Amino acid sequence: MSTDSYPEISFETRMSSVEFRVHERAHITVDSKICADCSTRGCITACPANLFVSTADGGILFNYELCFECGTCYMVCNEEGAISWSYPEGGHGVVFHSS
Amino acid sequence: MNSADLNPAGINLVACVKWAELRPEIDPLHGSVEASQRSSGFSSSDFAAVESALRLAQAWSDQGQVCVVTVLCAGPEDAEDSLRDFFAVGATRVVRVDLAEQRSSAQVAELLASALVPSQLNAQFVICGDVSSDRGSGSVPAYLAHHLGMQQALGLIGLESTDPGSLHATRRLDGGRRERLLLTAAAVISVEGSVATLRRSSLAATLAAKQKTVELRKQQIDWPTEVNRLRPWRPRARVLAPPAGDDALSRILELTGAQSGSTAARTLRLDPEQAAEAVLEQLAAWGYLDDSPPA
Amino acid sequence: MTDFDVIVVGAGPAGAAAALEAARAGRSVCLLERGPYPGSKNMYGGVVYGRVLDSLIPNWWEEAPIQRWVTRRSTMLMTGDQAVTVDYRCSSWGEAPYNGATAFRPEFDAWLASKAEAAGAVLICSTTATGLLRDGTRVVGVRTDRPDGDLTAQVVICCDGVNSFLAKEAGLYPPSDPANYTLGVKETILLPREVIDERFAVRGDHGVDIEILGCTGEVPGGGFLYTNAESLAVGLVLSLPKLAACGRRPEEILAELKAHSAIAPLIEGGQVKEYSAHVIPEAGYKMMPELIGDGILVAGDAAAMCLAAGIWLEGVNFAIGSGAAAGQAAARAVQRRDTSSAGLQDYRRRLDSNFVMSDHRKLREAPHLVMSDLAQQQLPRIACGVMEQLFTVTNPDPKPGLRKIIRGQMKLNNLKLRDAISQGMKALRTFG
Repeated sequence: MSTDSYPEISFETRMSSVEFRVHERAHITVDSKICADCSTRGCITACPANLFVSTADGGILFNYELCFECGTCYMVCNEEGAISWSYPEGGHGVVFHSS
Repeated sequence: MNSADLNPAGINLVACVKWAELRPEIDPLHGSVEASQRSSGFSSSDFAAVESALRLAQAWSDQGQVCVVTVLCAGPEDAEDSLRDFFAVGATRVVRVDLAEQRSSAQVAELLASALVPSQLNAQFVICGDVSSDRGSGSVPAYLAHHLGMQQALGLIGLESTDPGSLHATRRLDGGRRERLLLTAAAVISVEGSVATLRRSSLAATLAAKQKTVELRKQQIDWPTEVNRLRPWRPRARVLAPPAGDDALSRILELTGAQSGSTAARTLRLDPEQAAEAVLEQLAAWGYLDDSPPA
Repeated sequence: MTDFDVIVVGAGPAGAAAALEAARAGRSVCLLERGPYPGSKNMYGGVVYGRVLDSLIPNWWEEAPIQRWVTRRSTMLMTGDQAVTVDYRCSSWGEAPYNGATAFRPEFDAWLASKAEAAGAVLICSTTATGLLRDGTRVVGVRTDRPDGDLTAQVVICCDGVNSFLAKEAGLYPPSDPANYTLGVKETILLPREVIDERFAVRGDHGVDIEILGCTGEVPGGGFLYTNAESLAVGLVLSLPKLAACGRRPEEILAELKAHSAIAPLIEGGQVKEYSAHVIPEAGYKMMPELIGDGILVAGDAAAMCLAAGIWLEGVNFAIGSGAAAGQAAARAVQRRDTSSAGLQDYRRRLDSNFVMSDHRKLREAPHLVMSDLAQQQLPRIACGVMEQLFTVTNPDPKPGLRKIIRGQMKLNNLKLRDAISQGMKALRTFG
């Protein structure tokens, strides 16, 4: 994924630098049935936390835990109603320290 | 406040919490741990302790007992804002024993105990989190039980109230077994974080808590000056050449010496002086005594 | 009777400034923040311009938690293996009253919110506003996610950030177009202070801000690199729809920027301390919602008050400016007992009379211009190509001459003179 001349950190290392206070309720849900009809799947490319993954049955697998709460996914989503988006419960979710 | 105010006929429950660095930032340049108010807080097991105290108080109140829940923390002033939030979830009193610096578990327990003695908080049940998140050993509750002369039940994974003033506790044993304990006052218990999740405070209570005051206790304890522990000198590890060999197996064999004959054990019966000499001699023979002991 | 005169949703720079001004005007103010502390959800692409604080907090620079004062400002045009940099230094920017500063938002925003608290506002953290309370069309409060979480007020000021669900719920936003938004991603990279001082040729609390064009491949956007006290921040701004369509992930494009020969030596050996991402309301003036409704005002990123105009990249100052104006207008409306849309029009007047609206109106074409193919693709290539030909000594061949080089580069990059002139005039009109 990166050029040879510069060692790049793994995505896991990148994400482990961020604090997430995960709440048990998922603040974003994805309706995989609707996603099955989507041909563009911009969420997979654009989500900065890489939370959207194609599944073998043509749907989308989504994890809410390491979410930056940025809003990219619902903005680039082509399919009406595929992503229901809200903020996590107060005090939870991403916590930045030096950004 | 004197003990007459302290609900003498009812049950006093005290939840002890520790203000700890939840996500310590270790400066990779200096190797120092940087504490900040923003990354400090209370661990989930401490929250479980507070929630357990609130639930017990609620259950026993429903059975006609007068219960008072106090949250007690030995910590710095930074903790006050977060401590005030315990009023919002239903604590009657919140007490902070001033402790600015890191102290050993024994000393923290001594400090907490000084606030817990009958003339102060008169606690029948002291509920703690099992271990603090900053490399805690879980020994504070045990020290507390010792100081207060109470029974102890530590590392609980379940807590149920029965009659007022008594409760069933579940503790994990080896091999998937469980131990069920019936506890009556007075006892020190510590709970795992999974026991209970702290309730979310209502908005009105959260706003009201902003006006409440955390009681401050300044306890003067003359702790002895700490001396770094002196230990006998231990020889350094030797640097060995990397094992030779073409494949991993042969290198491992060489490294472990698995196929070369091992030195037979010897039993020597000597005077202490001679024994020391023999040990030194053997260490020198193995090449451990190249560098002299530190001054 | 309402719980508070004014509720401010979101304790970022806009919300803190709004709460500060409303509380100072003697109104009861509740400042709601969904994170555990103000600034915990916030990141940005670099520089706080503090002039707007002068009137709010005199001598703010003596207490604001900043990392470094920007005394060196560079604009870099980049292709895969080339870079042209315009570098400006100004040591007076490193002395009071200062110009721009780098700061950690969790520190800066918490500081600003503490000022609002000191002025009498009640800050409630860890509380998400989930919706508006309404009486007909009139907003009369907010619903929060706490038990019994309804809170009433005469005015609700929405400073709830770029996604502003409250402004959308109030019907103040047209349907959102992803083309109006960009995604910002950033790495904070630790390096010793001495190494930063040496690599960026600055001393003490002076620092550098580099804005980069041409580093985002086929996705329109830009990059930035700036110095904190003991860390660097390197990041990208990427057009959302183009990013979604390009098939490359943001961290891959960022890895390319970090590997570029003009950037790699600056960040070499550093360790990533924090990765962060946020959406930016890029289109500015053209995407602004209705700012005023019955009992409701919108400020900061929630009102798209982010200036992404190429040579000027500002946001925190616009947030503070619009938030302060909203706080003042709300306080006045409460005092006059008219918090209807008409009674709150003072907000608009205040914005129009200061930099917030005039800058946005003047630069309304700039975001589009900066995201155009000319600025994104042709300009960096032509600039780098011209420089390369200009400074490559081709003896024994004679030097080709500047005019020939520029014409050659324009032709190579399919830029017609006519288009160049018309775009150049447009840029002059926009920025002039």
